Amino acid sequence: MQDGSGRIVVQNLTKNFGQVAAVQNLSFHVEPGSVTGFLGPNGAGKTTTLRMLLGLVRPTAGHSTINGQPFERLGNPGRVVGAVLEAQGFHPTRSALNHLRVYAAAMGLPDQRAHEVIQLVGLAGAAHRAAGGFSLGMKQRLALATALLGDPQVLVLDEPANGLDPEGIAWLRTFLRTFAASGRTVLISSHLLAEVEQTIDQVVIISRGQTVFYGMLDDLRRSQQSRVLVQPADASAFVAALQAAGINGIQPMPDGRVAVTDATIQQIGDVAAKAGVATYGMQEEKVDLEQLFFRLTSGQYTAPGYAAPGYAPPPQHGGYALPAEAYQQQQYQQQQYQQQQYQQQQYQQPPQQAYQQQAYQPPPQDYAQQYQPPVQESSPYQPPAPDPTPAPQQDNTGQGGNA
Amino acid sequence: MGNMIKAEFRKILTTKLWWAMMIPAFLVAGGWALGGAALTTEIANDLSREDVIQQFDIPINEVSWSVIALARAMNIASIFPMLFGALGLASELHRRTITTTFLTASTRPGVLTAKAIVYTVWGVIYGLVIAVAVSFGALLGSDSNHLPDGKQWALVLLAGVIMCTLWTLFGLGVGALIGSPVGTIVILLIYALVIGPFGEFVLFSATDGSNLPGFLPNGSANGMTGSTASALLFEQIQALVLNLGGEMVTEDRRETFDQAIRAVAGAPGALSLWLSTLVFLAWTALFFGTGMWRNQTRDIT
Ligand SMILES: Nc1ncnc2c1ncn2[C@@H]1O[C@H](COP(=O)(O)OP(=O)(O)OP(=O)(O)O)[C@@H](O)[C@H]1O
Ligand SMILES: [Mg+2]
Repeated sequence: MQDGSGRIVVQNLTKNFGQVAAVQNLSFHVEPGSVTGFLGPNGAGKTTTLRMLLGLVRPTAGHSTINGQPFERLGNPGRVVGAVLEAQGFHPTRSALNHLRVYAAAMGLPDQRAHEVIQLVGLAGAAHRAAGGFSLGMKQRLALATALLGDPQVLVLDEPANGLDPEGIAWLRTFLRTFAASGRTVLISSHLLAEVEQTIDQVVIISRGQTVFYGMLDDLRRSQQSRVLVQPADASAFVAALQAAGINGIQPMPDGRVAVTDATIQQIGDVAAKAGVATYGMQEEKVDLEQLFFRLTSGQYTAPGYAAPGYAPPPQHGGYALPAEAYQQQQYQQQQYQQQQYQQQQYQQPPQQAYQQQAYQPPPQDYAQQYQPPVQESSPYQPPAPDPTPAPQQDNTGQGGNA
Repeated sequence: MGNMIKAEFRKILTTKLWWAMMIPAFLVAGGWALGGAALTTEIANDLSREDVIQQFDIPINEVSWSVIALARAMNIASIFPMLFGALGLASELHRRTITTTFLTASTRPGVLTAKAIVYTVWGVIYGLVIAVAVSFGALLGSDSNHLPDGKQWALVLLAGVIMCTLWTLFGLGVGALIGSPVGTIVILLIYALVIGPFGEFVLFSATDGSNLPGFLPNGSANGMTGSTASALLFEQIQALVLNLGGEMVTEDRRETFDQAIRAVAGAPGALSLWLSTLVFLAWTALFFGTGMWRNQTRDIT
């Protein structure tokens, strides 16, 4: 049966609802011990993908596995994967506790477990109230309690922060980090990067049913923090000089300038001087993550003819770092924002090849080391008390729930 | 499977539908039996006083006419277990609890199988409650000489309990097939109350009293109790007539008698008890099977 690995694999998933191409050829995987953010704007296909993963929607093509098995072959799936898909799935007159008791029975768990999870999510006081009278945030908590009933190894959450108050969001963050730190797997979707930025390690960004970025959040952040826009006299000589110097984050701009992402102004100046290429201007540009996310996901909606600023995905994006092809492929990348071509080219590579080359799959030990909680807790179900101050990271917007 | 069965029982017992349907089932069953028994008693008493009838050797007043009321009342009350079954899956689809149900079940067919088992049990419970109600109704409404003996009584009730159980599963299957609770209920009610009975009557008349109506779902279900009643009455009358030195009734006349009683019991053109049961079982299996198949491929979005 299932291999107990805690791994989620999504391979070439495609779903059409009649004429609507909800998800197109989507591939990614999620490793245990990490929290993966699944991001995309409204209608991008997040919910559809998660529902295909959970056996609720039948894919038009492709397949997905959890612990090495498709969902319907997990045996007692509630013990392997817990899911929060919507805050609606409750009978309005059934009490919260009875709701949990129903599904505890379905998974063969004692009623005690229902009491435990209802306490865990802070709903003990409302245990005997009908779920129909719950607020959105309370329903969200009850959905989370249901997901946790089976003490699953894998958690799949579709916009779980919807309706949660700031305290609830902070608690959820801490909870998910701790959950992942204990070697389990979390896949969480959101349409707001800021909402999950502090929680996630890895990120899959989709737009219009297609992947636009897949990799470590840190890489996304690093690669996009800044770039230098250079106006060289001879672009090809300049690019050749940069490549000779080992600088590969190069990207041509529509206006003839060249954007360089992995070198400082000083380094670039030195290279240009050494190669004898005149430069007429150099300018550093900083991009924050949210802006980048916005550009990644909304680029496809720009009107034809609009020369979108061709922000490159980070170098680890399947083969972009290969020096010989770097320049040419980056041109494809640019087309993507204008013609939506890039996706097919990117993902029509044989999947194994494409994904094995990627740099963002460090060996499992890395994850373990990186995310070892400061204090090893006896149970993942004892998250620290809700942290009133969000982690000291850069961007704290999105605190107000579904901001 | 045991876990899923337990979960299904909990689903039912933690909401109110089961008794919200059972109370009217009890009242309707009791009311129909009482009214029907009173009516048959009245008619039989009137008839037995007629000179014409007294010339024949049929002791109308000793016949257990109340079985007709028992049979008919169970037919009518069976719409409640049918509705109860109809909501078994359809309301889960509507309330969206089906998501969690599927997420915590080994397979989708497993969910439907567990529901089939649980709703069979509930169908029997409904059937028994209805059986008790019609018995009370008949006791109150009928003269004691028109009441059936214990064995006849038990047979009619048994047929009725099986019919209620099959209606429950029939509803479950139709609900799984259609998916929407309102759509399912509307379609089932219109069929069971209007199209079924009138259609069967029209078909019965148009085909010169053929058995065609007995092959339809409602006709076969009604036939289960209607034919039991007619068979019991026929045997009883035959025995009474023979006792009084009369003759065996010919097959032809038996057929006519059966059809008359079945029609009075609300099952015109019905087949015999066993055929009716088989036919209704086949309809139930058909709808349950297609409902299960539909459910297998349904996208839960
Ligand atoms: N049952 C359905 N029938 C038809 N189209 C559907 C169905 N479900 C989803 N879609 C379409 O598929 C696309 C992807 O929808 P999906 O719900 O997966 O997006 P999402 O990324 O979850 O969006 P959101 O952030 O708003 O939740 C949309 O265009 C949507 O209209
Ligand atoms: Mg969604």
